[in-house]
Amino acid sequence: MNESSVLVIESDPIVRESLSGWLSSTGFEVTSAEDGAKIIKVFAKSDFNIVIMDVRLHSETQLATLREMKAIRPWIKTIIITSHPQEETVLEAKKIGVVDYIVKPVDMDDLQKIIQGTVESICRGNLTDDNTSFETSGDDLVPGIKKSFAISRENLSLMVENLLKEIEVVGVKAKQGKYIYDRIYGFYELSLDYDVTVSPPTRYMFPPKETLLKFKTGNGNYVEPVIEYTPRVIIGVHPYDIKAIELLDEVFMNHNPDPNYIARRENTVIIGVDCLHPSPRSFAPSMGTNWTETGFDLLLTDIGNSYIVKIGTEKGAELLVKHTKYRLPTGDEIVRQKKVRGEALNRYKIALDTPKDRIPKILEESYDDPYWENRSATCLSCGSCIMVCPTCYCFDVKDEMALNLKEGERFRRWDGCMLVDFAKVASGENFRKDKASRFRHRMFRKGKYILERYGKVGCVGCGRCSSACLAGIASPLEAFNALAENIRLKEAATSVIQAAKPARDIYTPEMAEILSVRQLTEKEKVFELKLKSGKKLGHYPGQFVTVSIMGTGEAPLSISSSPLRGKNFQLAVRNMGDLTSALHSLEAGATVGIRGPFGNGFPLETLEGRDLLLIAGGIGLFPLRSLIQYVMDRRYDYGKVSLLYGCRTPAERVFTDELDFWQNSKEIDFHETVDMPCEGWTGNVGVITNLIDKVDIDPKKTMVAVVGPPVMYKFVIEKLKKRDLPDAHVFLSLERKMKCGVGKCGHCQINGIYTCQEGPVFSLTQLRSLREAVL
Amino acid sequence: MKPKVAFFDFTGCEGCQLDALNLDAQDLIDLLNGIDIVNFREVMTERSDNYEIAFVEGSITTEGEIERVKRIREQAKIVVALGACACIGGVNCLKNHVPMEEALRIVYGKDAKYYNTIPARPADAVIKVDYYVRGCPPSTSELVKVIKALLLNKKPDIPNYPVCVECKKAGNICVYEKGQTCLGPVTRAGCNAICITSGRYCWGCRGLVDEPNIQSQKDILNKYGLTAEQVIEKFKIYDTCSEVLK
Repeated sequence: MNESSVLVIESDPIVRESLSGWLSSTGFEVTSAEDGAKIIKVFAKSDFNIVIMDVRLHSETQLATLREMKAIRPWIKTIIITSHPQEETVLEAKKIGVVDYIVKPVDMDDLQKIIQGTVESICRGNLTDDNTSFETSGDDLVPGIKKSFAISRENLSLMVENLLKEIEVVGVKAKQGKYIYDRIYGFYELSLDYDVTVSPPTRYMFPPKETLLKFKTGNGNYVEPVIEYTPRVIIGVHPYDIKAIELLDEVFMNHNPDPNYIARRENTVIIGVDCLHPSPRSFAPSMGTNWTETGFDLLLTDIGNSYIVKIGTEKGAELLVKHTKYRLPTGDEIVRQKKVRGEALNRYKIALDTPKDRIPKILEESYDDPYWENRSATCLSCGSCIMVCPTCYCFDVKDEMALNLKEGERFRRWDGCMLVDFAKVASGENFRKDKASRFRHRMFRKGKYILERYGKVGCVGCGRCSSACLAGIASPLEAFNALAENIRLKEAATSVIQAAKPARDIYTPEMAEILSVRQLTEKEKVFELKLKSGKKLGHYPGQFVTVSIMGTGEAPLSISSSPLRGKNFQLAVRNMGDLTSALHSLEAGATVGIRGPFGNGFPLETLEGRDLLLIAGGIGLFPLRSLIQYVMDRRYDYGKVSLLYGCRTPAERVFTDELDFWQNSKEIDFHETVDMPCEGWTGNVGVITNLIDKVDIDPKKTMVAVVGPPVMYKFVIEKLKKRDLPDAHVFLSLERKMKCGVGKCGHCQINGIYTCQEGPVFSLTQLRSLREAVL
Repeated sequence: MKPKVAFFDFTGCEGCQLDALNLDAQDLIDLLNGIDIVNFREVMTERSDNYEIAFVEGSITTEGEIERVKRIREQAKIVVALGACACIGGVNCLKNHVPMEEALRIVYGKDAKYYNTIPARPADAVIKVDYYVRGCPPSTSELVKVIKALLLNKKPDIPNYPVCVECKKAGNICVYEKGQTCLGPVTRAGCNAICITSGRYCWGCRGLVDEPNIQSQKDILNKYGLTAEQVIEKFKIYDTCSEVLK
């Protein structure tokens, strides 16, 4: 459809020509005519979307022409020009679909505004026409994909009753004045003309809680993946929910394929139905999700006594042939489908004030807007918005032991970024601790992050969140519209997405044996491990693994050893949470589960041939040690290497034997300091930034790797900037709550990126555009 | 060495203890393989004061109970509050709405002079409590979950988010959407929204989440037509509303 084709009907030749000329010059395709009645024939065959017509509003013939045009093309937008506006005739004109009128003499600025508004409203709902195209050819009753047929209500009922005999059927039914998805046992239970359901159908692909693994502890440490699914037909899915399922497909099937989701999705048949009576809170047309051409096996449109059924997949076609009778639609039925869809479009009450393509840019520019703080003041952090959202899919992973304490299950359950503890790690640090940052993060996911990462809208405009939110703040539409008002355009930053590695059983750990355990300090130990398969871990310095102790759970731990030192690897660990405490209680010979290595380590190619400045604060030495060892092993590849290490007290110094070694080595320029000395300490005292002054730096040749607590980064960066180090030369490893390690569960997200995928090591350049990184 | 576990009751209906026993036979055997119960007035006659883990049930409502719960704290390595009365004060706090003399008179009539009482309070108003088994009554599965966590030396998986999360997961239609009111938005989840799923609303028996937005909850109750007095009347049963109305 071409939204910029305009038909001008005007009897005065001077006005007609000047108007047509002006419209052409502003980029419209213009056809003009002297008299409306004469153009009706042409009109039926052409592709106009906007009609500008000079009307004497008391003229019954002209009103009749308008009615006729509206009957042929129900979605037509008409603007009338009149010299005699009278209330009753204006009302009459509105009834027959006139969107606006303008009084003669015509003010071109006013007209331009009205036309522009009309074009935008067409753009928002511009899928009507494409969707009603029929691809049936001749009398061909072979049910091919994309073909549409007609099916009577009785035959639809027959199909559902037949399906019920062989498969579980879930459908939309009425409950307490609302609608829900639930298992049905007869066609009569269905309510296919509903507005919206309380919760979305996505739970049938991604349930609120599901078991991922079963395990036995003790000898052998047996672990088995669990994939549970029930073959099922879901009937009555609205297009916006189909679009949401398409997003989940992208997330769970194309990037690190998720076997549990895939099994369920592949065993689900989706019978969609056009939404003809939208909820007053829905803005699906603004998000381009009110119609869909894909994502369903069959799609129904209720046109009165019968349905138009469109075939989406082979599976859908088979089902139609096997279970019911259908026929080619009549011309009248095709027109009626267009008509009911056009009417449905007019029933939406709210819309975006700006094209949806602008939302990412609007959000980008509104990151520091006071809106987030102000609007989230009443947020209950109750999670209702995310629990009813069809495009939310973040989860938590937990272990549950049986009472015999010998076997158990690892399960996942829905979790989400609006909940207080979502980004909180074992040390107590909460990376999104205030309501405003959580509220903003959700809106950014809905409007920007998901779209940029997966190329699909992160909000489908169903309106469920705004119904569920008692505080009345959850609607993304409201946020987007409010922010759009304050925005001017600027270039958006491109997203940093990197191709993910495919893996089969992404949640199943590989067993590894603890070969030795060494106490480093009161709270820290280093574990040497080896995969039981005998394979090398295959990590790069700076990457991490997740360690599982079945029954206790799983936690991310950075790898502390160089990949160049044999098949074994080391994990240095502070006793801090459940998993680390359990790990500390294990001795050599014990078995733990390992997944990974995950994430991006230090950029070895970039570091090669350069001077290196390595800075570690506290147990930041644990991950950095993998790089230090690597560099020492390939010392000839690097220029000058300096290492700075600082911790709070002498008692907290870790790997003291190695610290002594570096102190005496000629290959590395080593400096260390403590914040609080004790008796007998003769070394430096003070913060680590003081050590930077002790090192000669050539900013052009030097690359810096920094690992330490968040508070250290700010000061180190300031100091490095004073020494003229460019952002692209500085690499930092960030801590975040990491659960799944495969870019799904959402806990480790920093704005649009996942720390477990794009991180944990980032260049300062990357971090400058990630505001949640807080430097 | 199996940890020795003792159960003690303070002021309450003792329903939590009763419910604790509501395990099926195999679970009970598995449980007793993991712990030694050395003191449990409701089910056994033996008593021992040699225990590591103490479950205290009921709220603290007399000076004598303060001393007794302090002695338990001294003996036990780990103290677990069992049920709403011990965790948040619970039903007994209803009497805190009237002067203590009047409460005694209402309950004991002419014999009031023989009794003493103090405003009811949760166990952690008097001693340090390590773990909480919440609810009125707590579900058996939650008690078992906490015991398992103790045995595995890990934090029990008790959510710090409101009941709304579990209510939405259950697919319920919001109580407020039906024009009624509920304390779900500020009450700690873990109950799987059982009351709402059964057609009622949340009274807040599990206490508040760590960071409840009290002001917003008040505004919402108000918006749905409840005055401050009506909120007390409707929600005072577990004392959760005293927080809401502070």
